[in-house]
Amino acid sequence: MARESLLIRTLVELADNLVDDYDVIDVLTVLSDRCVTTIDVDASGVLLASPGGELQFVASSSESTKVLELFQIQADEGPCVDCYRGGVAVVNQALSEDDGRWPRFSPRALAQGFQSVHSVPMRLRGRTIGAFNLFRTHRGILEAEDVAVAQGFADVATIAILQHQSSLNATTLNDQLNNALNSRIIIEQAKGMIRQAMNCDMDEAFGRLRTHARNHNDGLTEVATMVVDGRISPDALDVPKDPRSEG
Amino acid sequence: MVTNRLADIFSLMEHYGRDDSPGLSLCRAAAEIMELDGASISLTSSDVEMTSLCAGESVAQSLCDLEITVNEGPAMDTIRMGVSVVEADLDSLRHRWPLYTPEALQLGARAVFSFPVRLGAIRFGALSLFRLSSGPLRANQASDGFLMASVVARSVLSMQAGASSDELLAEFHHGAQLDFRVHEAAGMLAVQGSMPVKDALVALRVHAFSTDTELSILAEHVVTRRIRLDPRGMEWVENPDGVA
Repeated sequence: MARESLLIRTLVELADNLVDDYDVIDVLTVLSDRCVTTIDVDASGVLLASPGGELQFVASSSESTKVLELFQIQADEGPCVDCYRGGVAVVNQALSEDDGRWPRFSPRALAQGFQSVHSVPMRLRGRTIGAFNLFRTHRGILEAEDVAVAQGFADVATIAILQHQSSLNATTLNDQLNNALNSRIIIEQAKGMIRQAMNCDMDEAFGRLRTHARNHNDGLTEVATMVVDGRISPDALDVPKDPRSEG
Repeated sequence: MVTNRLADIFSLMEHYGRDDSPGLSLCRAAAEIMELDGASISLTSSDVEMTSLCAGESVAQSLCDLEITVNEGPAMDTIRMGVSVVEADLDSLRHRWPLYTPEALQLGARAVFSFPVRLGAIRFGALSLFRLSSGPLRANQASDGFLMASVVARSVLSMQAGASSDELLAEFHHGAQLDFRVHEAAGMLAVQGSMPVKDALVALRVHAFSTDTELSILAEHVVTRRIRLDPRGMEWVENPDGVA
């Protein structure tokens, strides 16, 4: 499909999603998925800054442990940290084994099959709240047009986080950031329970949460909370038709 | 990675930890880092019940007791709604908490603040602070409040795991809080040992401290099934699948 058509489809899907009490992790996951299909990258994800300034992973186009690990390392070093600290995009960084810039990150990313990484900032009124991260399995330049599209995705992600309000009262930017970060922890706790109970891997565990949330018109975080609180048993979750395509 | 602000908090906790209990040093560090007059930590066993864990000084303790007595106030709202509460001028907003506010003013508080203490789906309670003068929080004070609340959540787990002050600080320095594997591992252990996720997080810490293992590394071993809990949740079984 042409890029314009993909972008229009993504916008329509977002307009559909950004209603009333949407789940922020769900929307950020959709954005990450669509970013991969719209521009020529192989994985993407969102990292947000915690109140202490550490970057934490919140959503990704892939829930595989290997990809999550690459986000995790970026609490310490990597393109996202540089992008977050500098507040400017870090693009077209070819990775090499003997990288003096990111000695832990680069070898791990290469081992996962990625050749180049890119990161664009998520900014709001002069404050950088996180970074949007893109991974490619092949070398080659991410064109200026692709970078602009990636920045567009990052800006929509920022809006999705800031507009997200609890139904009880309008909360502050810090509350909203903190809620997004905490939602991710709830999802990880639920994924662990599902993996153990259903003997599946982590991306399938996420796929079950997501499928169940969609089928029942509930938020992803809400379903995850119910799993952790024991209100839904892991074996009562809907199973995706194809676990991988949902995750 | 330990950011500068976290390092500031740890050095304050270390300073107060020499003479005070871990709970007290948390309250004192919170008040000092946020430049407020006092702090207290309240815990909840459900969404409605609240108990006082500790307070940095007597006014903070009285405010916390007052909330429990009249069953309304900033910590209660934080616990119920899961968001921070900022009441910058208590004197001008008497209707929000009709029973709490007059008494709180009597105690000398003019502004009260409260932050949720939680870790994923686990709600511990609230970190509450007060000031003797009215006025809002600066942006950095508010973000310090959230940061301090996350330190309190981890500390409560480590205290329940029987950690010494040194072990607690060592765990903070490894920054396992944001490690997704720790939370995945806790979910797996909860199912393995038929226990709540909160207890699984404590069990994970008990084993990490007793075997002198970093929390993240132990969590990775759980996730990759190199170690597990027996069904009673009492004993750890290494290499359960018998794979070399």
